[in-house]
Amino acid sequence: MRFGGTTALTGVDLEVAAGERLAVVGASGAGKSTLLGVLNGSVRPSAGEVRVLGADPAALRGRELRRLRARTGTIHQGLELPGALRVVHNVNAGRLGSWSAARAAWSLVRPQGTGEVHDVLAQVGLADRMYERTDRLSGGQRQRVALARLLLQQPELVLADEPASALDPALADLALELLGELTTAAGGALLACLHDPALALRHCDRVVGLADGRVVLDAPARTLTVPELEAFYGVTR
Amino acid sequence: MTAVLSRAAPPGPRLRRNRRRWGWSLAGLALVAWSLAGSGLFPGPVVNPAGSGEVGRFLSAALRPELGAGFLAVVTEATLVTLAYAVLGAGLSVLLGALGAPLVARATWGRRRPGWRATRAALALPRGLHEAVWGLLLVNVLGLDPWVGVLAIAIPYGAITAKVFADLLDEAPRGGHDALLAAGAGRASAVLYGLLPTAAGGLLSYSFYRLECAVRSAVVLGLIGAGGLGYQLALSFSSLRWEQVWTTVYALAALCLAADVAGRAVRRRVAAPPPGGAAYRRDRVLTGAVAAVVALAVWSAWYLALTPAALFSARTAEQLGYVVSAAWPPATDGGLLATVWATALVTIQMSVLGIVFATVGAVALAPFAARPSAPAGAARRAVGVLTRLGLLLLRAVPPPVWALVLLFVLLPGVLPGALAIGVYTMGVLGRLVGEAVEEADRRPSAALRASGASAAGSRLYGTAPTLAGPVLALALYRWEVAIRDTVLVGLLGAGGIGVLLSAETSSFDWAAVTTVLTAIVLLTFLVDLVSDRARAVLR
Repeated sequence: MRFGGTTALTGVDLEVAAGERLAVVGASGAGKSTLLGVLNGSVRPSAGEVRVLGADPAALRGRELRRLRARTGTIHQGLELPGALRVVHNVNAGRLGSWSAARAAWSLVRPQGTGEVHDVLAQVGLADRMYERTDRLSGGQRQRVALARLLLQQPELVLADEPASALDPALADLALELLGELTTAAGGALLACLHDPALALRHCDRVVGLADGRVVLDAPARTLTVPELEAFYGVTR
Repeated sequence: MTAVLSRAAPPGPRLRRNRRRWGWSLAGLALVAWSLAGSGLFPGPVVNPAGSGEVGRFLSAALRPELGAGFLAVVTEATLVTLAYAVLGAGLSVLLGALGAPLVARATWGRRRPGWRATRAALALPRGLHEAVWGLLLVNVLGLDPWVGVLAIAIPYGAITAKVFADLLDEAPRGGHDALLAAGAGRASAVLYGLLPTAAGGLLSYSFYRLECAVRSAVVLGLIGAGGLGYQLALSFSSLRWEQVWTTVYALAALCLAADVAGRAVRRRVAAPPPGGAAYRRDRVLTGAVAAVVALAVWSAWYLALTPAALFSARTAEQLGYVVSAAWPPATDGGLLATVWATALVTIQMSVLGIVFATVGAVALAPFAARPSAPAGAARRAVGVLTRLGLLLLRAVPPPVWALVLLFVLLPGVLPGALAIGVYTMGVLGRLVGEAVEEADRRPSAALRASGASAAGSRLYGTAPTLAGPVLALALYRWEVAIRDTVLVGLLGAGGIGVLLSAETSSFDWAAVTTVLTAIVLLTFLVDLVSDRARAVLR
C-alpha cells in the first residue's frame, strides 16, 4: 500500500471475523489511520486485495458502493463535524445513506426523526445539547456527537480512530462499551485505533500492533498485559 | 381526548430558532421580493425585440475583432494611458492610506471612542462616492487635466485604504508590541519592531489588491472622458463599430488578467514565503514587484505629463471657490427631494437584484470554477479553465458597458441596470466563491461519502454548512460595492439616482448636485451599515 510517495502500509494481511473487537495499536505514523481509510473505501490501495463485509469496495460503483459504505461507520480522528450545524443535524447525517436528498434538505429546515436523535444523544449524555451549534461544544462533547451519529447509523463494521482521545476515563469506557454493543447488535466487527493500552485490553478481544506500516503484533487481548503494550508504544514510566 | 393528552410529550429540549437570524433572513427575503416587484419583470414587456438584430451583430463580432495596424496602435496607446492612471491612482491612494491609517486606527484613540467614530465617519464621504463621480466633480474644478483621473482614483481609494490599513493594524496581534513597550522601548520603535512586521504582509497584499482594482477604475474613468481604454470603448460603441469594441474589450481583459495574475502572485508569495536560509536575503519576487511598481509610477507621471503646477494654479483655486460657493446651501425644494427619494429606491432595487442574480450564478458556477483538490481528468480541467476565463471576461468588462449591451435587448428600467451589475458582480463573486470552495475543509463531506451519503447529501451536510456563512458574507460585502456601481451605471444612463446626478452636473446646478451627492453618500452609508449588521448576525 503506497500512499502519496511514501509507503504507509506494506504486507498487511489481516482477517477480522464477525463479532471481533479489534484494537489497532502503534506509534503515531505507523499507518493506523491509513488502514481504516482502506477499509472504509476513502483510500485506495495501490496493490493487494481488500474485502469489506464480503465485497471489494474498489470494484463497486454508484448505488452498490453507497450501500456498502452505509454499512460501514467511521469515527474520524478529526471528527469532521461542520461546526456551523446544530448537533441534531450532525447526528442525523448518520442517516444520509438511507435518506433521499429532498428529505435531507427538509430536515435542515425542520429536523426529522428527533425522537431517535434524542435517544442516541441520551446514551452519550448529551440530550440537553441537541439544538446547540456543534462549534459551541467542547472537544470531548464533539467526540460524543460523532459517536451518537454512529449509533444512529447502525453500521455493521465500526471503524473508530481514537474515539476516546478527548474523553475522561469514565466517558472513554462508556464510549467503547457503546461501540462494542453496537457491533454485537448488528453482528459486525469493531476496529478501534487506541492510544491507551489499558482501554484496549479492557474492551477488545484482539490486539493488532502496527509499526512502519507492518503488522508486528497480533495476539488475543487476554494473553497481553498493560506493561507489555506500553513497551510496544515505547512508553517508559 | 385523554389518549391524546396522555401521549408522551416530544422528548428533550425544544428547537429554538435564533430570532435575530430569522428576523434578518425574513427582512432580506422581503427586500428581494420588493426589488423583484419593482423590476417590472412580472407585469408588462421587458424585452426589446427591435434590438436583437444588433445584439446578433455585436456577438458575432466577438470572433473577428478589428486587427488593423492603425487601430492596434491606438489600442496600445490607450492601454498604456489606462495603466498609467491606475498605477498613479493606486500609488497615491496607498500613500494617503498609510498617512491616514494612524488617524483612524482604534489603537490611536484608545478609549476615546467618539473621536474614533468621528474620524471613521469623515472617511464615509470620500468612500461613499464612486471614482466616476469624483471624476465628474474634479473635471469641473481642474478642467481637462490628467490629475482628474489620478485624483478620482486616489481620493476614494485613499479613504478605503486608510480604513483597511487601520483595521489591519488593529487586528494584528499586539503581544510583541506591548512586550517591547513594557521593556522600555519608545512608541515608534515598538510599532516598528512589534507591530509592523506582523501586519506588513497584509498591508502589502492589500496594496497590490488596490492596484488590481485601480486598473478597472481607470477603464471606467475613461468611459466618462478621462482617456485610455474606456474612452476608446465609448467611442467605438457610440459609432456601432463592434469589431473595434471587441478589440478594446480583449485588450482590457488582458490588462485586467495581467493585473490579476501579478497581484495574486504577490499575495500568494506574501502568504507563503519561501523558507529562509542562514544568510540574510531579501525576497527577490517581492522586492522586484515593489521596485517595478515604483518605476512604473515614475514612468506614468512622465507619460501623462503630470505636473504639480496644475493643482495649484490660480484658475483651479478660482474654479474651486466658485463651485463650492454655488454648491452651498444645498437645494431643498420638494420636487427635487421627491425625485431623489424615488430614484434612490430604484437604485436600491437595482443593486439588490444585481447581487441576488450574481450570488445565485456564482454559487451555481463555483463547483466548476474551483480548482479540483484531487488530480482530475482533462475534461474537468478544461471546464475549470473555461469557467475561470469566462468569469474573468465578465468582470473585465465594467458594469456600464454591460448596461449598454443589455439595453439592446431590454427596455430601459430597473432590469438592464440590475443585470449589468449582476453580470459584472458574478464575475467577481464567482472567483471569490470558487476560492472559498477551494479553501473549504473537504473532510466532512468526504467522511459522509465514506459512510454512504449521496452526493447531494454530503454537500448539504458536509459542504454547505461550512460555506453558507462565508458566501453570504461575501455577497453582502459585494452589495456595498454594487450600490456604488449602480450609481455609476445610472451616471451613464441606465436609471436610478446616477441619472439624476448626471443631469444636475451637466446643467451646472451645483446646489442640486450637493443634495444628490448627500443622498448618494447617505445611501451608501445605509447599505454599509445594514450589510455590516447582517454580517455580524451571520457570524
